Amino acid sequence: MPLKSRRILQLKKLSMIFAIGSMLALAACAPSTPDPVDTFKTEKINVYTRDTTSGTRDGFMRGIGFADASANDSVLVAGFVTADNNAIMAAMATDKAGIGYVSLSSVNNTVKAFKFEGVEATEANVLNDTYGLKRPFVLMRRVDGDYVNDTEYQLTLAFMAFLASNDGADVIANAGAVSTNGTGSWATLVADHPVCALDNSAVTLKFGGSDSVQKIAEALSKAFSPACGNVQTENDHTGSSDGWKRTQGDQKDGTVYKHIGYSSRFFRDAELAGPEGTRMQMAWDAIVAIGHKDNPVDNLTAAQLTAIYNGTSTVWGDFYE
Amino acid sequence: MKPRTKTKTTLSRSDTIVSTLLMILALLASSFIVMIAVFITAQGILPLITNNRGLGTVNLWSFLTDTVWLRGDYFVSTLYGAGFLIVNTLYIAFLTVLFSFPVGVLTALFIARIAPKPIAATLRTIVELLASVPSIVFGLVGVGLFLPIIYNFARSLGINSAGGYSVIGTVFVLALMSIPTITAVAEVSIRQVDDSLAQASLALGATPTQTNFKIVLLAAKSGIFSGAILAVGRSLGEATAVALVSGNARSGPSFGLFETTATITSTLLQGLKETVGIDYDIRFTLGILLMIVILLTNASLNFVKRKVGRLDA
Repeated sequence: MPLKSRRILQLKKLSMIFAIGSMLALAACAPSTPDPVDTFKTEKINVYTRDTTSGTRDGFMRGIGFADASANDSVLVAGFVTADNNAIMAAMATDKAGIGYVSLSSVNNTVKAFKFEGVEATEANVLNDTYGLKRPFVLMRRVDGDYVNDTEYQLTLAFMAFLASNDGADVIANAGAVSTNGTGSWATLVADHPVCALDNSAVTLKFGGSDSVQKIAEALSKAFSPACGNVQTENDHTGSSDGWKRTQGDQKDGTVYKHIGYSSRFFRDAELAGPEGTRMQMAWDAIVAIGHKDNPVDNLTAAQLTAIYNGTSTVWGDFYE
Repeated sequence: MKPRTKTKTTLSRSDTIVSTLLMILALLASSFIVMIAVFITAQGILPLITNNRGLGTVNLWSFLTDTVWLRGDYFVSTLYGAGFLIVNTLYIAFLTVLFSFPVGVLTALFIARIAPKPIAATLRTIVELLASVPSIVFGLVGVGLFLPIIYNFARSLGINSAGGYSVIGTVFVLALMSIPTITAVAEVSIRQVDDSLAQASLALGATPTQTNFKIVLLAAKSGIFSGAILAVGRSLGEATAVALVSGNARSGPSFGLFETTATITSTLLQGLKETVGIDYDIRFTLGILLMIVILLTNASLNFVKRKVGRLDA
């Protein structure tokens, strides 16, 4: 082939590649038209989840009645995406067919928050106990007279009061949960606890119980110490059942004893032997199933969410008429 | 003759000091590789040989071949599998090089042979700047810019991708990261090609384009291949950016361009800071696996490079 025509041919090839390339680029940038509702019916659900170390995942899976998936990826629907909190939020802003879950404090107007069992996820509905996809954060202290000395007793009482103050509620809210308390500022309440005016740096308060509460509990310990005579704090979180065991149960006099035990579920009947006043609820951890703003589905039940996460339902059409 | 010997001996005394010092530094620097290898191996071998605090050992064969990361509950099950991760990692590295190699090399050719001096200098600076951008930044660009574009593009093709988290997203980010490396290395080796070769080709009547592609690139192929090897290394070892855009699938392998995926490194990174026990130790086993994969890949690529270098040189 003569050189000239070969070059022309090459040029043609080049321009063709160019044309195809720019067509692809155009297609990628073209504004996507909103999906008509009926084509969305056959849309495959893209399932997003936190990884198995996440407390939110544990709360969500237990809340929808799919506890098996709390620490097991292999029971989830095939092809799910593992992402962290921010990545799930970012994905729901893009992915029209996605579903994920985040803490209530993370929800904003870039995503759609699904109602759970017909109830909207708002702080008010969490506090009035109508919104169901949540778990309580509760705690229990040692019973009166079961302390090594009076200072430790007074400090434990002071901590419970701090928790119930506005200052404690702020710490809890900053850590992402919905506080159930908040009456009066610690600056005035501290007057009822003269022990906080002393130097307590030689005393150590021991906290334990639920590991889901750990982040909040550590934040509370950190905030409480300077607010009460620099008392030392020690957080050792091993699980909700140890919350009762190590304060009022059979390990309360062992080496692992605690002053305060947390739990991320309500205390069970067997754990309620001690006086009412030794227990309190500090917060709700509300979790919200979220999707894309254009998603026509408004409400999902626990059974439906389980069906999505275990792969029984794979298209969005299963959930609306 | 005599004074020359004298200066040589006086020099050699300070030389000895300097060279000893340098040798000590070199030994120190290279001993780190041994330390790393020993540390990773010592920790990573544990899940395979101990009974993991009563959970049982991880079976090496199923670890190397299984297509699901973990069957059963975390912290309880030892049924780990990384076979699909090996396939995914190599597949993604291959696609990355497939995409970044031509772009990188042609950019280098333009900078070294075609562009006017000021433009070449500017481009060279830009490439060097790009090469030094941290991988997390590439990952963020991937999440913020590429993923929505990929998602919408897949949608226009009628494919419902998971928010753009995909093989192609990962390959895009890795390609962006490796193009500067390829360009920088290839550009140097293209400039080192003896100009008399090009002149001879032009004198024989070849056009500049023919000369550039058939003579210059061929003569520089050994250096260009080194660039590709570096790019493969970077895509095999990148964790942060991949974890951000891959979707971190827990089973596979994923060959479809719009499927979610996971590599050895991204799986290693997931939840690393929060996990304990067997789930923590197994990540060091992944570390061993990663070192072996990189070692074998580099060895075989270097073997190919020697073969290619010898061909019609």
